[in-house]
Amino acid sequence: MPVAAGRAASPPDGGWGWVVVFGAFVSIGFAYAFAKGITIFFKEIQDFFGTSYSEVAWVSSIMLATTYGAGPISSILVNRYGSRPVVMFGGLLCGIGMVSAAFCTSILQLYICVGFITGLGLALNLQPSVIIIGKYFLKRRPIANGLAMAGSPVMLCTLAPLNQFLFDNFGWRGSFLILGAILLNCCVAGALFRPIGVAKQSVKNQMIEEGKEAPKEEVTKMSMEMRNPAYAPAETKTEEEEEKDCCEKINRYLDFSLFKHRGFLIYLIGNVLMFLGFFAPIVFLAPYAKHIGIDEYSAAFLLSILAIVDMIARPATGVIANSKWVRPRIQYFFSFSIAFNGACHLLCPLASGYTGLVVYSIFFGLAFGMVCAMLFETLMDLVGAARFTSAVGLVTIVECCTILLGPPIGGTIIDTFGDYKYMFIKCGAVMVLAGTFLFIMNYYNYRMLAKEEKERKAKEEDPKIVRTENEGRSNWNKETLQDGPELEPLRDEQEGLKTEVNGTNEV
Amino acid sequence: MPAFSGERFVRLLLLLSLRLPGGSPADLPMTTEDASQTQGNLTQMPTRLNESSTEPMTTTRIVNRQTRESISDHSPVGHGVSTPGPDLTTQDFKQAIEEKASNFTYVEYEILLSGVSGTSKEKNITLDNPAKVELSCRLASKYPHLNIVQVAWKRGNETIKHINKTENSWSIQLTVTDENELGSYSCTLKGEEEFKAVFHLQVPKIEGKEKPIISYDGDSVVMICKSSSYTPIAWTWYLTNGSEQIAINDSLMSDKYVIDRVPANTTHLKILKLTKKDDGAYWCEAVFKLGKSKGKLKLKVLTFMVPLKPFLVILAEVIILVAIVFLYEVYSKKKEKHAEDEKEFEQAEQLKSEESNGVESSSTRHRKV
Repeated sequence: MPVAAGRAASPPDGGWGWVVVFGAFVSIGFAYAFAKGITIFFKEIQDFFGTSYSEVAWVSSIMLATTYGAGPISSILVNRYGSRPVVMFGGLLCGIGMVSAAFCTSILQLYICVGFITGLGLALNLQPSVIIIGKYFLKRRPIANGLAMAGSPVMLCTLAPLNQFLFDNFGWRGSFLILGAILLNCCVAGALFRPIGVAKQSVKNQMIEEGKEAPKEEVTKMSMEMRNPAYAPAETKTEEEEEKDCCEKINRYLDFSLFKHRGFLIYLIGNVLMFLGFFAPIVFLAPYAKHIGIDEYSAAFLLSILAIVDMIARPATGVIANSKWVRPRIQYFFSFSIAFNGACHLLCPLASGYTGLVVYSIFFGLAFGMVCAMLFETLMDLVGAARFTSAVGLVTIVECCTILLGPPIGGTIIDTFGDYKYMFIKCGAVMVLAGTFLFIMNYYNYRMLAKEEKERKAKEEDPKIVRTENEGRSNWNKETLQDGPELEPLRDEQEGLKTEVNGTNEV
Repeated sequence: MPAFSGERFVRLLLLLSLRLPGGSPADLPMTTEDASQTQGNLTQMPTRLNESSTEPMTTTRIVNRQTRESISDHSPVGHGVSTPGPDLTTQDFKQAIEEKASNFTYVEYEILLSGVSGTSKEKNITLDNPAKVELSCRLASKYPHLNIVQVAWKRGNETIKHINKTENSWSIQLTVTDENELGSYSCTLKGEEEFKAVFHLQVPKIEGKEKPIISYDGDSVVMICKSSSYTPIAWTWYLTNGSEQIAINDSLMSDKYVIDRVPANTTHLKILKLTKKDDGAYWCEAVFKLGKSKGKLKLKVLTFMVPLKPFLVILAEVIILVAIVFLYEVYSKKKEKHAEDEKEFEQAEQLKSEESNGVESSSTRHRKV
């Protein structure tokens, strides 16, 4: 189905797409950086409520858990209503959460307002932003992804001094109030997520020209994704609802059939493994530096170096991943960057003194940026832009567990052995393992896809309309057949153009 | 605790070894006063071995501090005490253990004088409990040729009798029991060149907060003062009324102020139902045996209007931007539709003309895609 949509109307790959990238930049930036940036207020809150530091740190953990765990909810809502209303509602929810947090009188209320409500709002920001990039870009998608993901370090670098300034001038209550207003800017970002109009045109034409021959499932599915109330498919949809059975109905909201998808499973297993060792080194970098005798400000500076290198690495990775040498084999590049990240951690214990740690921070920042920039790009590549909506929700809820487990496991290792190097070795080993796993499995996957491509090309000898119909029907039956890497539309698009020039056209 | 008592024991042994035949010539010019003081010291040390659990902590600390400070001042003072004193027999020693003496810790500090003449070196010494303090000035061994004619130890204008510890170091011994004995003690060495060193004996400083604590009308605030390494006997809070400081009595105004003094080296002051009047400077005072020390904290009480203004500004900005985005979208859609309608019109015309010509046009097909 995505192949047909691609041929009928390819994503613009530019124009308004760059504005959408900017909106996604802001949205993703807030989603990732906010939980970290808010830690500046914790000391004061701890003193105010008379709790221990770990009780206050739960606020951040709950926020992060909700942001990842509410992924499926996000996906369902985007499948139903499209990205724009979801992001705007998410921004509103964040604002309400933080404003009500300003009036909290107990730490439990803070857990709910800051942790749960704001976390949910951020989840409704994160997933749709990533999804809409997939809808607006195809040929330049890695660059767009890299640029959008760069929002995270930039926001973190901005939020840290901003939060300090707000705290010095307004105390924690006033700061929460103002941060609520700042989070409302996510609504502005959401407003920029114009539902993509090009595919609508193709649907309209398909309906007019092909009538009932047009795969009904495709039409309803596209109308789900890019719903415009002023639009005809509403009638078609009500007709279809009665015809669908239970499984398909659920799959319409959240595509559980993805769990049969080979590429998706490979990605899921590899990423779950990777996240066990992904965030722990950042959390423990400053304490490790202090442990080996570096003063507090230099230790904090290490994290700034990391953030700055990260900021530059993400768009750069996007550009590299978009080049014609890397794009077809982007999964290998992703596996390489994970393994590179792991290698950095394994070498960290060898770093002696401040200069060693600075070098480590630079390489870590580079590796971290590379992995993050391609995190969603590779999923899109494996699963296709249409099913990406559900895929991202399912992936984030499964990753949620390992993300939250990573730093505490690292902490327990440090406490047990009394030495930081074992934590670095553990993280490095886990990531190298994840990288190797992904590399091998993707090699296998590429081969299988090449095989299936050959089979499909053989079928292409049949009349083209039959093939489109078959594709549409096989939408629900044979997922593996249709969801090849996104290069399919690229190559087929070229073919399509050729055939058009020759006078024949496939619709 | 075994480590601590071991240290004290080593010092005692060293002292005894120095007392054995063949003490340094510098031992001789000693006054009886000093001798009794040293003996007093000896009596202290054995009793330290039987000390309760709280005291050993302070002593070890002081010993460690002493070593640290000495090292930082480039003067390696070993734990071995070379204080001269009368010979002691084992019987005296036993007697000393049995003697009941006060809980005084013993510390010594030394300043190494070197470098340019005329400059004065300073050292800050923090004491929270009564102690016996020995302060000494040592001349760096690279200046043996300088004939130091006059050595003077002073506190203000008052001269203190000193002892010649070694051939190039001079010290005084003080028993600090209350705050009158704290202050600045200086030693001046005059000869071909002049050297000066100053010791400042003081109570531990309490740090307040430089940045004001911000809170709101009707809210409550918690102010915390900590004394990290020294445990004070008591804490008192003061608020500033004009130019005077008024002590806060939390039992009297228990619905306004709550003071929490547990654990002993931290104190919390909770002020409830804040109003504008509560704005100002607050002092937390730690009372030590040797005096008091204050830390300053500032409280600022704001009304909720203060953060509300930036909030409303940002809210307005968000609404305006969203409106702009939507208006632009509607405007560009209208433009698109207008252009499309024109195109459709053109296509329809073209179709009509092509049909009449009987030629299929590929342009229509293009448009469909």
